[in-house]
Amino acid sequence: MKNLTIRNLSKTYFDPYAGTNVTAVHDVSLNVEQGEFVCIVGPSGCGKTTILNMIAGFLPHTGGDILVGGRPVNGPGPDRGVVFQSFALFPWKTVLENVAFGPKMRGVGKAEREKIAHEYLALAKLTEAAGRYPAELSGGMQQRVGVVRALANEPDVLLMDEPFASVDAQTRMTLQEELTRIWQEKRPTVIFITHDVAEAVFLANRVVALSKGRVLEEIDVDLPRPRSWDALNDDPQFKELTGRVLQLVRSA
Amino acid sequence: MKPVILNIWSFLVRLTARFPSIGSIAPFIPIVAAWWIVTELQIFPRVFLPGPGDVVRSFGLLVYTGVLPEYLQDSMVRLAVGAFWGIALGIPLGILVGLSQRAHTALWPLLLFFQAIGDIAWLPILVIWFGYGLVTMTVVIVYTVIFPVVLNTVLGVRSIPITMERAARSLGCSRTRMLWEVVLPGALPNIVTGLRNGLGYGWRALIATEIIVGTSGIGFLMFDARRAGSVVEILLGMIILGILWYIVDSWILAPIERATGQRWGLVTR
Amino acid sequence: MMQHRLSSALWFCAPFVVLLVLWTVLIPYFNVNPRLFPHLGSVIQAGLEGIKDGTLIQHIGASLMRVAVGTVLALLVAIPLGIAMGVSPVVSSFLTPLFRFFSVLAGIAWIPIATLWFGYGFGAITFVIFNAVFFIVTYNTLLGVSTIPLPVRNAAASLGAGKWAMLTEVLLPGALPNIVTGIRTGLGFAWRGLIAAEMIATNVGLGYMLFVARDFYKTEVIVLGMIVIGVLWLLLDRLLLAPLERATIERWGMVQRS
Repeated sequence: MKNLTIRNLSKTYFDPYAGTNVTAVHDVSLNVEQGEFVCIVGPSGCGKTTILNMIAGFLPHTGGDILVGGRPVNGPGPDRGVVFQSFALFPWKTVLENVAFGPKMRGVGKAEREKIAHEYLALAKLTEAAGRYPAELSGGMQQRVGVVRALANEPDVLLMDEPFASVDAQTRMTLQEELTRIWQEKRPTVIFITHDVAEAVFLANRVVALSKGRVLEEIDVDLPRPRSWDALNDDPQFKELTGRVLQLVRSA
Repeated sequence: MKPVILNIWSFLVRLTARFPSIGSIAPFIPIVAAWWIVTELQIFPRVFLPGPGDVVRSFGLLVYTGVLPEYLQDSMVRLAVGAFWGIALGIPLGILVGLSQRAHTALWPLLLFFQAIGDIAWLPILVIWFGYGLVTMTVVIVYTVIFPVVLNTVLGVRSIPITMERAARSLGCSRTRMLWEVVLPGALPNIVTGLRNGLGYGWRALIATEIIVGTSGIGFLMFDARRAGSVVEILLGMIILGILWYIVDSWILAPIERATGQRWGLVTR
Repeated sequence: MMQHRLSSALWFCAPFVVLLVLWTVLIPYFNVNPRLFPHLGSVIQAGLEGIKDGTLIQHIGASLMRVAVGTVLALLVAIPLGIAMGVSPVVSSFLTPLFRFFSVLAGIAWIPIATLWFGYGFGAITFVIFNAVFFIVTYNTLLGVSTIPLPVRNAAASLGAGKWAMLTEVLLPGALPNIVTGIRTGLGFAWRGLIAAEMIATNVGLGYMLFVARDFYKTEVIVLGMIVIGVLWLLLDRLLLAPLERATIERWGMVQRS
């Protein structure tokens, strides 16, 4: 069982335009248990995407430790799946080939990896789209493929970087409900970045409020599952929690 | 040690942000330096590969004797005349082929075929018809410029959405005014792209023509130098050609293309 | 569907038939001197003779051979080099002006120096073609790699792609539309450069055939050569390059016009 531990993480880089060092992330510590769903929420420029990129291994960190299952992170790897805001599907591969990409990299044979891909596509109700190219799908469908592609690789941790920010509001709600359903079925460890407070509370077990590169507060969300917008829209506990997080983020 | 490097880097980044042209000159410095070192070390015989200094000296000499300015002027005038006729004939033809289905059926295959023949293949027969001289060169350049202009104009005219045409009609625009108010501006970004491509081809055609049948011009300068075995002047000619086209393309044509296409959001890049 | 294609093919040929009819009628009618423009019959005859004694085939073969050798050599160097340079945004933005400069010079401008360095013949002409293709394809490959969005490369890395898989699964296919466009443009310049170079620097090939015919006012050979040049390029461009370009760009929804 793999958990994710972040200790005193910080990021400083040199800005050539300003000619000075800039600190984007200050001394952030966070512990995510196996099977937990954690949302990091904060306004744009608060360093949340930088943190995610460091966990994913796309950016080097300049201080502290990132440990996945006790092993330090060193560059990107298949133990941490990533879902991108811009989907980042391979436009030259069909939906099926996109989802089968991770297993292919592990050296899984063609028949076997296509079976895996079909399984995961069914999970997100994408069976029909298997033979199509990403450009032929709507934004919502593309992001479903993005989520499923990351899951099909069976990562220890799933990192999601504002994945629903560039789809329309209706589709976003559907995708959020589907994500909670898939999460309950597969129970992956998830770190989810967003600026949308309601989205964070709706999805998470725990919300981490971030501002100016520092953790403000961690708030546990013990709303019952399965969650749906129909049920939660008028739920007093949901309202109270979103209100609290919103106040935290805005007052900082 | 490290902060010094960072400071230099920071300085360079800010400098190129302020003056973008520095960014396009910088890469040539190591190339010229390498060229200089190679010639100083005499790796190749100097007759085969002269150094930057020799080329600069030859530049000075040719400017002083007035040969270079004259040849340069000849080449530019030929290109300008060719471009003018290419545009003057190409745009109306393109609009005709773009708007009329009949003209399209009759002319489109011919356009594709005659474009494929290519300018330079016309040289021998043009020399028979018009002899060595300005007429032959102008015909070749017009021929080269006209096809990209026509083909892109057709593309532009045909890509104007039908709704835009309907909108103009319902706002009371007559058929003839439509040409000026809707068709031409709608096709303009494509026309400019066509012109840019056409001049790119025209420029090369000009050089080829000057090399083969010329009596003056940069291409002639290079070929004359080749006959005399003077590598310095050939290199000088190549460098002038490159710089000149770089200036024309990135300081004149590309900004016009950006100004029309991107400003109106018609071309997505 | 079949019928539709047939009728559009017929419509495509119709203007040429009209042109040929005009040619057969107008030239004798106005009594044009064959030293200025040939009769259709004499062009056909020149074509048949050229095929019979093998000279036409020889010229075509020589030209195509030079294009093939120069292009293949150029691609073998240009694509790996372009990818290697395009991977780093710093390197690619630094080198872009350099390659734009040399693409401008591509082809024809190299003829004088190529003939000096390699002498008249196969070497000089192949060098000119190599040049025309090499710089444009390298530049386009570099451009293609640098337009692959960073998240796409990151996605592949986080799904476990190693260096080799990154190259074959991401960088090459991602840059392919640009590479194909580059090949198409580069070959266009190379083809013109070939004809120009053959006029000056050799004793076999289509360009040479045209230029020698000019010395003897054999307009039928000149016109024959022009038609052959046109048809060959049209076949190459429309049947090979354009469909390839469309297939990659449209299917993948990667609209990249240059």
